[in-house]
Amino acid sequence: MSSLVGFLSLVFAIGINFYLFLSRYIFKFQKQKFNLFIRSASLLTLLSFFSLMYAYVVSDFSNYNVFQNSHSNKPLIYKISGTWGNHEGSMLLWLSILSIFSFFFSFTKNIDESFQRLTLIIQSLLHILFGLFIVFTSNPFLVNSILVNEGLGLNPILQDPGLAVHPPILYGGYVGYSIVFSIAIAGLFQNTDDEWLYVAKKWSLISWTFLTGGIALGSYWAYYELGWGGWWFWDPVENISLMPWIAGLALVHSLMMVRGEQAIKKWIVFLSILCFSLSVFGTFLVRSGILTSVHSFAADASRGIFILLIFFIVTGFGFLVFLLKEPKKSNALNLLFINKVSALVINNILMIIATLTILLGTIYPIIIEVLYNKRISVGGPYFNSTVIPIMIPGFLLMSIAPILSWQTNKINNSKKYVLAFIILSVLVLIQSYFLDFNAWGFVGLLLGFWIILASIIAILSSYKIKINIKFFKIINPHVAHIGVGIAIVGITCSSVFQNELDFNLSEGDKFNVNGKTVLFEKIETTNQINFQSLRGKFLFDIEKNQSKEIEAGKNYYPVSKMITSEAGILHQWNKDIYFILGDQKNNEWFVKVLINPFVSFIWLGVIIMIYSGLIAVTRR
Amino acid sequence: MNRIIILTPLIILLIICFFSLTYLLSGKDPNKPPSALLNKNVPSFESTSLYDTKEIIITTDIKNRKTLINFFASWCSPCKIEHPLFFEIGKKYPELYLLGFNHKDQTSDAKKYLEDDGNPYDFVGVDADGLIALEFGVFGLPETYLINEEGKIIFKFMGPITKDILKNEIEPLL
Repeated sequence: MSSLVGFLSLVFAIGINFYLFLSRYIFKFQKQKFNLFIRSASLLTLLSFFSLMYAYVVSDFSNYNVFQNSHSNKPLIYKISGTWGNHEGSMLLWLSILSIFSFFFSFTKNIDESFQRLTLIIQSLLHILFGLFIVFTSNPFLVNSILVNEGLGLNPILQDPGLAVHPPILYGGYVGYSIVFSIAIAGLFQNTDDEWLYVAKKWSLISWTFLTGGIALGSYWAYYELGWGGWWFWDPVENISLMPWIAGLALVHSLMMVRGEQAIKKWIVFLSILCFSLSVFGTFLVRSGILTSVHSFAADASRGIFILLIFFIVTGFGFLVFLLKEPKKSNALNLLFINKVSALVINNILMIIATLTILLGTIYPIIIEVLYNKRISVGGPYFNSTVIPIMIPGFLLMSIAPILSWQTNKINNSKKYVLAFIILSVLVLIQSYFLDFNAWGFVGLLLGFWIILASIIAILSSYKIKINIKFFKIINPHVAHIGVGIAIVGITCSSVFQNELDFNLSEGDKFNVNGKTVLFEKIETTNQINFQSLRGKFLFDIEKNQSKEIEAGKNYYPVSKMITSEAGILHQWNKDIYFILGDQKNNEWFVKVLINPFVSFIWLGVIIMIYSGLIAVTRR
Repeated sequence: MNRIIILTPLIILLIICFFSLTYLLSGKDPNKPPSALLNKNVPSFESTSLYDTKEIIITTDIKNRKTLINFFASWCSPCKIEHPLFFEIGKKYPELYLLGFNHKDQTSDAKKYLEDDGNPYDFVGVDADGLIALEFGVFGLPETYLINEEGKIIFKFMGPITKDILKNEIEPLL
């Protein structure tokens, strides 16, 4: 029953959007009526999504999708997240988020009515394309042809609270760019005043903030669930989320800096199209199953071709409109050796080069396999040695960019900055001399601390300190950059100064980690509701009264016959001690201990970035 | 010049779509990377029998006869699924030599597995440290190789073989 409701409301939603599209050419609507239709199409799409969710919650195995991906023993949260833990459901989530964005956009005030309408019609077109894709190739409402009373279970690796919320948030970013795309295209068609730039800024900030949160959740999940001790692997799926993130960062900066320059406006339109294109391209790569990873549920060529077609239409249409309708008036850029505009241009060039470098590394294996029938994989070494050096000048620049002037080359208080930079360099050099010197470590620490220090100097010397909301809005760009600086320090320390210790231990053994004694207490196996768990219990720092207990082990999921590893992590503010329980051999367990310094700084930096993204949304 | 710059995204789009489409239409399955070993000589190996450590098998032992090599383990559940098919193959093609490699397994577990589910192999070699699998380029268990009389690998399959694959891909080569 819920499947029928879901399917019908989906079809109706597509129908209404089609009707709205026709309305532009055939029947003209009043504003109220138009908004009513667009909102009801959005609500119908959501109804469709929630009826699928309902089928998951009540374990309605007459729905084929539920049967394939759920199990009645699962805890409620994983029944809910099971809705998007599969290809069909995740595409429906995609469409639902598109609808949510259209829904809220229809409430935007103070913008030209015909412009708003055109934007929403472009959204409707996107809805139709993806809606048809779902109905024809990925219908989540198929009825199970056999009567069953139990399902096949959700991929256990996805049964994790972090991962349950990761897809909706990430999609909030990916799909959010659809509205930025529609705004940009509508802006090209109507060529009205600059009001659309402010609207675009708000929505691109929202999307970018969601994307940041989604990526961070995904990498945090990889950190404690995959059990490899790292949090970023340059996995193709990570790369395709990073590309719209970097392009979106360039977009947000351009939008904040634009002051009516035509060249920058043109560039903003280009970036808006690029961001959404990269999002759709990412969806294509993952959903077609071209990339194998935890994200690809099934390889199916017909789906791949359909979604490639959508990608081709959307991107081709976007860039074609851009080519034909480019803004004509020219208004020269005020480029100086070092002022705000030149910093923005350099920053944008670097970000686009970085995006293209990642794009090349991501699609290179596909090209090679087509041409030479060879399987190669492009991984960390390529990206580390290309993307990071490209970004370094950008990081240097961002420390002072917010205080640069528009009109002149002069930097206020420049002596303070030079002095601070020299002192900092000496301090970092001394620090690296006493620890093991590592060039990357030195560069990373210097950059990270320099960004933090320069931003703090800028805040202290340029503004009067007041504790109120307005003040926080004014210093927000600096706060965002401090977040980046903190994240860079965390990234550098945790990757360059990571320490690995291997042990072979029996129960009751004591061993030494970082000068602290650790007791390998016992191995425990328990039966949980939907898995069996094997846990090694460790007591950290047993000489103290308050020793901390760490559990590391594996879970075995009988329904899908899979084993997942569960790392045991002791979080301290300055380091994570990361325990991985390996295999048993001759009554001895292989235990790997990783000491990851300053990992918490990465998450702290990300939280600050998300915070300032949210603040920036509220600022006009 | 300006035109060319603006056309660049469209050109890149066309290139990306061309390669992606070719990839999709070529019927490649990303789960099955092309094997560098196909149509090459079987890598040399030496392994002891699971049941008798004095009994060894080396590459030259499978010369001049068609051999089906299967990598399996007791801990590998998909192996259990394809297992019965090897009895069928053995019955239908008695002259085919069935060589099983027990991959990274405990001897006792492997013996129990073959006791419970039956032993279809003519010889079960031990590959405790996975070195033989490394030589063969095994990607994940189970994996099956067909070697012809000249000692060349003529077929490779990743994952559990099915009746369809047996009928459509392996039997024509036998």
